[in-house]
Amino acid sequence: MAYDFLDLHVADQISLSDEHVALKKAVRKFATEVVRPASIELDKMSAEDMAQKDSPYWTVMRKAHELGYHTIFIPEEYGGLGLDPLGIHIFFEEMAAASIGIAVACGVDVFPTFFANMIMAEYPQLEDILIKPYVADKDCSMLGCWAITEPEHGSDILTPYQSHFHNPKISHQLMGKKDGDDWILNGQKAAWVSNGTTATMSLLFFGTDASMGLAGGGIAIADLNVPGVSRGKPLEKIGQRDLPQGEIYFDDVRVPKERIFCLSDSYEQMTDLVLGAANAHMAIMCVGGARAAFEETLTYSKERIQGGKPLCEHQDVQRRLAEMFISIEASRQLSRNVLNYNLWNFPPNTTYSMCSKIFCSRVAFDVAQNAVQIFGGNGLTKEYAIEKIFRDITSTRIEDGSNESLTLAVGHDILHGEIPYGI
Amino acid sequence: MAVFKDTEYLYEVLGGFWKTLSEKNEFSSAIKEADVQIKFEITDPSAIIWVGPNGVEFGEQEIKADVTMQLAGDVCHAFWKKDLSLPVALALRKIKSRGNIAKVMKLLPVLKPAYVLYPEYMKKHGL
Repeated sequence: MAYDFLDLHVADQISLSDEHVALKKAVRKFATEVVRPASIELDKMSAEDMAQKDSPYWTVMRKAHELGYHTIFIPEEYGGLGLDPLGIHIFFEEMAAASIGIAVACGVDVFPTFFANMIMAEYPQLEDILIKPYVADKDCSMLGCWAITEPEHGSDILTPYQSHFHNPKISHQLMGKKDGDDWILNGQKAAWVSNGTTATMSLLFFGTDASMGLAGGGIAIADLNVPGVSRGKPLEKIGQRDLPQGEIYFDDVRVPKERIFCLSDSYEQMTDLVLGAANAHMAIMCVGGARAAFEETLTYSKERIQGGKPLCEHQDVQRRLAEMFISIEASRQLSRNVLNYNLWNFPPNTTYSMCSKIFCSRVAFDVAQNAVQIFGGNGLTKEYAIEKIFRDITSTRIEDGSNESLTLAVGHDILHGEIPYGI
Repeated sequence: MAVFKDTEYLYEVLGGFWKTLSEKNEFSSAIKEADVQIKFEITDPSAIIWVGPNGVEFGEQEIKADVTMQLAGDVCHAFWKKDLSLPVALALRKIKSRGNIAKVMKLLPVLKPAYVLYPEYMKKHGL
């Protein structure tokens, strides 16, 4: 008995071109000189202060827009950087090595325009309303977010094709009602919306038909600067404190037809596609975070003397460093291949994206845990960056679907999904 | 019943539409600049259409495709009539694509006039 599997290498050869090398150098410079110092400062601030207009969060996001990093998914023809899958991996790994939270903020910033780009053939007016001004934006007056989770819905709203998704007793807390060609939205999104307190636009998931359960939904590219939209208090949390998160409330908010990305006829499939994209990217954040933990530890182990010699001269520390290195390299290869395959094949294979996110976040947590052990007591103090990196990485096992829920979804796909999992 | 009754008719109508497009300067220079070879593997009726820098070809060819799109004849028709949104078609697996889709995205701006052209072209063929 044998099972078939995706030949992830089929999409393209993994090799860095001169452009990739230059991109890595440029992003690393921005990440090291701007992102990391700001993220350390933001980590010490209250969530409320962090969301204020004069906080380092805005300095970083504005600089990212100045450099055009908000356009990495927008084709060159529309003025974007239009990076290829490997370029995108390089970008997010470098950013996450400096700060997972800020890397996520940059990732979700792109969501609304990335999806708007896909429906421009139908609604060419979106080019003038959204794409052109967003590409030209240098002062962060346009900023995106991805609003899917709700106070009562976390991983369940992210995992279509499961029986709970069609249970009419489980429905969206943000509901839409059709009014002519437009939709009127009422309800709220969870405090976990990344950039929720700061964004001006959102890739917004809402319910359209409660009788269909969570499957009765739609996705809008919503303007958040319209009457009826209000924000909750910025969320205080254990890690990724440099990523502003908070509730968004909708009170009779009108969304015009051209901003509706999809409705219930394709909502479940589209949610699957979005989950596939999100998980593939979350995996990269984990690779970056794990790399940061490893790099901090390697440096520390060369400087810290214990038992009369540097830590790195102790055999068990060498073994731990080697284990960290091996697992990070493996996670990078998996996440690069999954991203490459899924950005070059439509529809993408969401199961592989989930596998990549689960594996890479496990590796990142394991690496961070080992790193703190090597740091010893110093790893528990705020004097060293590893303490923050450990807290940031902890969130990745829950972010974009808890690993437990996603693993169950992978199991479901193996048994009941399409080939290439079949026997 | 399928919009295109058989392969020959599909080549004549849909293939002819692509040929008309490729003869337009704006499109031919864009596809040359993008340097993208697209292979459409069509079912119901079964057909293969190649669109690339050297023009439009039908059937199996010794050409390497940058992007392969698999879809039914009716889906092609609905797409050009704007009855079907591309992301929805992709999500519902009515269109499957392999390869560097970013290269195809480069063509989107020059495809805009084609949407206008298609209904007129179909009218001529009684569709």
